[in-house]
Amino acid sequence: MARGVMLMSGGIDSPVALNFVLRQGHGMIAVHMDNRPFTDDSPLEKVVDHLALLRARYDQPIPLYVVPHGTTQTTLMRSTDRHVGCILCRRFMWRSAERIAERENASFLVTGEALGQVASQTLSNMHSATCAVRLPIVRPLIGFDKQEIESVAKALGTYGISTRPGVCCQAVPDRPATRSNLIQIIREEEMLDVDQIVDDCIRKAVVL
Amino acid sequence: MYRRLRVCSNGGGYEAIPHPPVRLDLAKARHALEAEGVAVVDARVLLIAATDPEVTISQNGRLLFKTRDPKAAEIAFERLRGLLGLPGLEASPP
Repeated sequence: MARGVMLMSGGIDSPVALNFVLRQGHGMIAVHMDNRPFTDDSPLEKVVDHLALLRARYDQPIPLYVVPHGTTQTTLMRSTDRHVGCILCRRFMWRSAERIAERENASFLVTGEALGQVASQTLSNMHSATCAVRLPIVRPLIGFDKQEIESVAKALGTYGISTRPGVCCQAVPDRPATRSNLIQIIREEEMLDVDQIVDDCIRKAVVL
Repeated sequence: MYRRLRVCSNGGGYEAIPHPPVRLDLAKARHALEAEGVAVVDARVLLIAATDPEVTISQNGRLLFKTRDPKAAEIAFERLRGLLGLPGLEASPP
C-alpha cells in the first residue's frame, strides 16, 4: 500500500478523512501546521488526541510532524494582499506537507476538504492552493456535506475532541477571496523567498 | 466604549469589541507595549502581545484575550486599557 501525508488541523473533517485512508490500509504520516500565536494551544492538542484515537483503532504508529507556521503567517500578513491570505497560507501548508512526503517516501497527500464548505474550499481556491505542489492530492470528503462528516466523526469518537473550545485563526481576513486568480497568487508570492520560508519551517518541525 | 467582554465564537477566549468602532494606531500601540517589556508580534493589521494571557489587538480595536477565565480577561483588559489609553467597558446592566 502507498504511504500518504495527511494535513491535520484539529477540526472535524481531517480525522474523518484520515480514517477513510487508514481504513483502506495506507500507511499514513500526519502533519500539523502550528499556527500559534495566531491560535492557541488547542488545535495541536486536538490533533494529538485525534491521532491517539486513530492509532489505537488502526494499530498504526502515524508519526505526527508539527511544523511551525506562525512566522510564515506573519510574513504573509505583512507582505501580501490580505484578501488572498488564506490561499497563500494553504500553499505554504501544501509545500511543507510535500517536503515531508519526500522525506518519508510518501507518494500522495490527503486533506479533509469538502467542496464549498468554507471560503478556502471553493473550486478555484482549491486549485490555486494545490498548484503549489506536484504530488497527487486525495480528498476523501470532497462530496460529503457537513452533516455526513459530523455523523462519521461522532461514530469515530473524534467529534467531541474537535468541538472543544479553542481560539480560531486570527489571521483570517474579514473578507477572504472566494474566487482566486492564480496569476495574482503567483505575483504575490514573487515578493517572498518561498523556498527559504519552507526550508525554515521544515528545519524547525518536530516529530511527536 | 467597549462592549462587555464576551466569549469568542469558538469558545477559546474572551473578546472586547469597541462601539462605536475605532481605528487603533498599531505602531503606537506596539511601542507602548514594548516600552513595558512586552514582546509583540506585528502582523501589520494586528498585533499579538505576549502578555498573560496573550492578547490579539486588531486595527479595528477588537481585543481577543486567550484565556477561558473571565476574571483573567477582565484584569488583562484593564491593564491593556491603561497601557494603550483605550476607552473603558460599558456599564453592566443593573
